Amino acid sequence: MPLNLTVALSSFSIILFIVTTIILKKGRMPEKYSLLWYFISLVIFVVAVFPNTFSFITSKIGFQTMSNMIIGIILVLLTFLTMALTIIVSGQKKKTTLLIQEISILKKEINKK
Amino acid sequence: MKNKILLIIPAYNEEENILNTYNKIIEYNNKNKENFDVIVINDCSCDKTSEICHMNNIPVIDLVHNLGIGGAVQTGYKYAYMKGYDIAVQFDGDGQHDINYVKDIIAPIKNNEADFVIGSRFVGDIDTFKSSFARRMGIRIISCFLKMTTGHKIYDVTSGFRACSKQIIKDFSISYPSEYPEPVTNAELLRKDYVIKEIPVEMNERTAGVSSIGSWKNVYYMINVCLSLLVIRIRRYKKCP
Repeated sequence: MPLNLTVALSSFSIILFIVTTIILKKGRMPEKYSLLWYFISLVIFVVAVFPNTFSFITSKIGFQTMSNMIIGIILVLLTFLTMALTIIVSGQKKKTTLLIQEISILKKEINKK
Repeated sequence: MKNKILLIIPAYNEEENILNTYNKIIEYNNKNKENFDVIVINDCSCDKTSEICHMNNIPVIDLVHNLGIGGAVQTGYKYAYMKGYDIAVQFDGDGQHDINYVKDIIAPIKNNEADFVIGSRFVGDIDTFKSSFARRMGIRIISCFLKMTTGHKIYDVTSGFRACSKQIIKDFSISYPSEYPEPVTNAELLRKDYVIKEIPVEMNERTAGVSSIGSWKNVYYMINVCLSLLVIRIRRYKKCP
């Protein structure tokens, strides 16, 4: 892997790590979601610094170069992440609907008294 | 014992129609010695729907945030369930539905012939307003799709004039689709082995205001409904105890 890519990827993973920590510190994300981001930043860091650990997988799967595989992995990760977020958002929507309905009915009942 | 019956009227920006609709129901109650209760679900209208209801003592639940037709109607079913109603009828606030047919669509439930009754424009030989050609084609396609996925034929799959039994009130108060509720609930109820019956009714063209379904959205609507019906086909269903 070219040195430029190593530097770029490892600094990206370090920035990701720091950003996640800052968000956690400010209490804007629960710890359980932060684990995923720490894991992603760790994976990127390992790939960037020790590319050879994965080089045998690269050729096995059929990627031409290491950088192609990295982009591929990131794409797959992001796809699943987006899917997970869609599920989370849909759950939130259901809960909000329930809350709106219950509050509205309660409001009617209170106003009647 | 007389059944407790509730008319659920979802309303979004219906200031021109709602009072008229309500007065017709009260007039009907007085004339026929019926006691249909009414609950208007005001889906966060930005016009004077809420004020008109409060000024005229129309029972209304003002949703604190706009939920769309599915969420609004479900609020009505929740209310019906909380208050122990035996039959709930979905009734449009825009003057499309005729109060004189309510007795026809609740009759099969009263006589234990059906759990769910749809007021239909496409059965019987009543000559009524049947919507535009494109809309009728769409309804026919969804109807065929429903037949394919559930094995039952329902002609007016998108009719919003429906009556349901106490058991279904409970089902609906627990889960009700937020989008395309009419065809989707029809399919779900069929999968849960409820008995659905269609009764011919007359429907009027809207007296004022604009319908919530715009024509350019129709294709998108069709695709979504068909997808929903397919998903219902592969899902597992159990009747609530």
